[in-house]
Amino acid sequence: MAATAAEARFRIDYPDQTTRASRIIALDQQAADVVRRLSGQDWRGGRFLVFEDVLPVNGSGHDQVDATLRTADGSRTLLSKELEDADVAVAIATEHVRPEAAAVIGDACAARMIMSAGLILAGSEQPDEAVSALRPNAMVLLILQDENDIPPILTALRV
Amino acid sequence: MLKQEINELLTQTGPGTPMGDLFRQYWLPALLADELPDNDAPPVRVKLLSERLIAFRDSEGRYGLIDEFCAHRGVSLWFGRNEESGLRCAYHGWKYDVTGQCIEVPSEPDERHSSLCKKIKLKSYPLVKIGDVLWAYMGDPEKTPDLPEWEFATVPPEQTYTSKRWQECNWLQALEGGIDSSHVSWLHSGGLRDDPLFKGAQGNKYNLADRRPFFEVVEADGGLFIGARRNAEEGHYYWRITPWVMPNFTLIPPRGDYPIHGHFWVPIDDENCWTYSFDYHTVRPLTEAELQAMRDGHGVHNEYVPGTFRPLQNKDNDYMMDREAQKRGETYSGIKGIAMQDASLQESMGPIVDRTKEKLVSTDTGIIMARQKLWKAVEALRDEGVRPPGVDAEHHKVRSAAVVIPKDQAFIDASREALTVRPGVRHASV
Repeated sequence: MAATAAEARFRIDYPDQTTRASRIIALDQQAADVVRRLSGQDWRGGRFLVFEDVLPVNGSGHDQVDATLRTADGSRTLLSKELEDADVAVAIATEHVRPEAAAVIGDACAARMIMSAGLILAGSEQPDEAVSALRPNAMVLLILQDENDIPPILTALRV
Repeated sequence: MLKQEINELLTQTGPGTPMGDLFRQYWLPALLADELPDNDAPPVRVKLLSERLIAFRDSEGRYGLIDEFCAHRGVSLWFGRNEESGLRCAYHGWKYDVTGQCIEVPSEPDERHSSLCKKIKLKSYPLVKIGDVLWAYMGDPEKTPDLPEWEFATVPPEQTYTSKRWQECNWLQALEGGIDSSHVSWLHSGGLRDDPLFKGAQGNKYNLADRRPFFEVVEADGGLFIGARRNAEEGHYYWRITPWVMPNFTLIPPRGDYPIHGHFWVPIDDENCWTYSFDYHTVRPLTEAELQAMRDGHGVHNEYVPGTFRPLQNKDNDYMMDREAQKRGETYSGIKGIAMQDASLQESMGPIVDRTKEKLVSTDTGIIMARQKLWKAVEALRDEGVRPPGVDAEHHKVRSAAVVIPKDQAFIDASREALTVRPGVRHASV
């Protein structure tokens, strides 16, 4: 039978060539510190970014607004550009989240059908505002007590 | 994906393994109470956490779970005679009590008999009956935890029903099916329409109308709450909330006034597990129709190869795949029954799935988080002796829930009472 241990060794074994283009975006200052620490680790090509400001857009396209983001090396980029070839966007927030940041990223991901997730670091306070801000804007929300849980989650998502 | 060494860490539960040590902190379902129905009933072979054991109920009604093999020449005590307050080996008549203590060596002269017996004791574990289940604790006797207080095992007997089945894969991939709420709208879509233990509930229409739920995962003292939300009436979400209590207990959110369903996933060895499946109602007896449906293998239960706990639909008959039923839209996968729809796919992954190759997506974060919590608990136990979540009986007092709440409310706040056992109070379900 195909599901036996003996048959398992005949499964075709080949290198995993799929890389996933991931964008990890901090939505507030405390989350930016977390993202900075994360960006120093060894990843499979994920880009680590910090939300800066909402940017009005003129003309027709996916978005009514865009956003400026700061990269790990300090340069500035646009959300729309970062999402051009993204497969997944993971937003990281704390209770100090800026709701408009969650909305802009959520809308942009929904318009492009990009998988989205929100990680909220609860800290000592109930992160009610962060949950309210991210709930409509992320397919999955995780409320975490421990920053150390973030790297394994990102690893599991092949960031 | 998971690194190979972490996959091995979480899936290996034999003696001396870190995950095995974790499992040995808990009271675990060892067998159904019905398997030892009377005093001096025939003994039952039990394999748990890669240890071969024998369970028996002596002439005084005491339960024993001891090493399967006689200390004398290694004969299986399954062939033994359960009589006069002990289990006697069929080979030379050596006899053991429920603690594994040898109490008779009839072939030896009387003067040597007493001293020889005292020196012979088989490995044994405590075995207690709570509800429909006999529970074993296989860890350090000095650290024996309080007895389990799961609601399905503590409600009056007429309110609860438990079955078990042999599942031919590692415990973790079976458990992960239990916390993967996103498959329900697909794999089990037929069951929501037809199964006598599910059909007709108000909540089903939300499930079938919105096949792409959003998820929220919240940590709990004993494990996780995994909330799946779908659109409901204007300004409201329909939430189905699944508790996972470490390491291997899950509840399925209820539907209408049907009972709550749930599972324990207990490692037999690294390539097989017992799936305990239960239904209980919080405030009323199960109806005869419900009980009959459960015995007939509906809901989370299944039919059996007669005289065994092996499902009638199994890998040797391709789970009685019915492609025509699949084409007609009666079942999504062609497999009959919710339990076997799950088991067939989980077993198809192989005895231990290679998690280095998987491509998880955001809706898998409940699974990711559960692995992470297991890993952390294993390390905390191994490195610092920290008692893991889920051992404390207070952690057992959880319920699943299916609720409709305003969009702006966090499910964990709005449902806190609904997610806690309140004896005599009906479970929250739509």
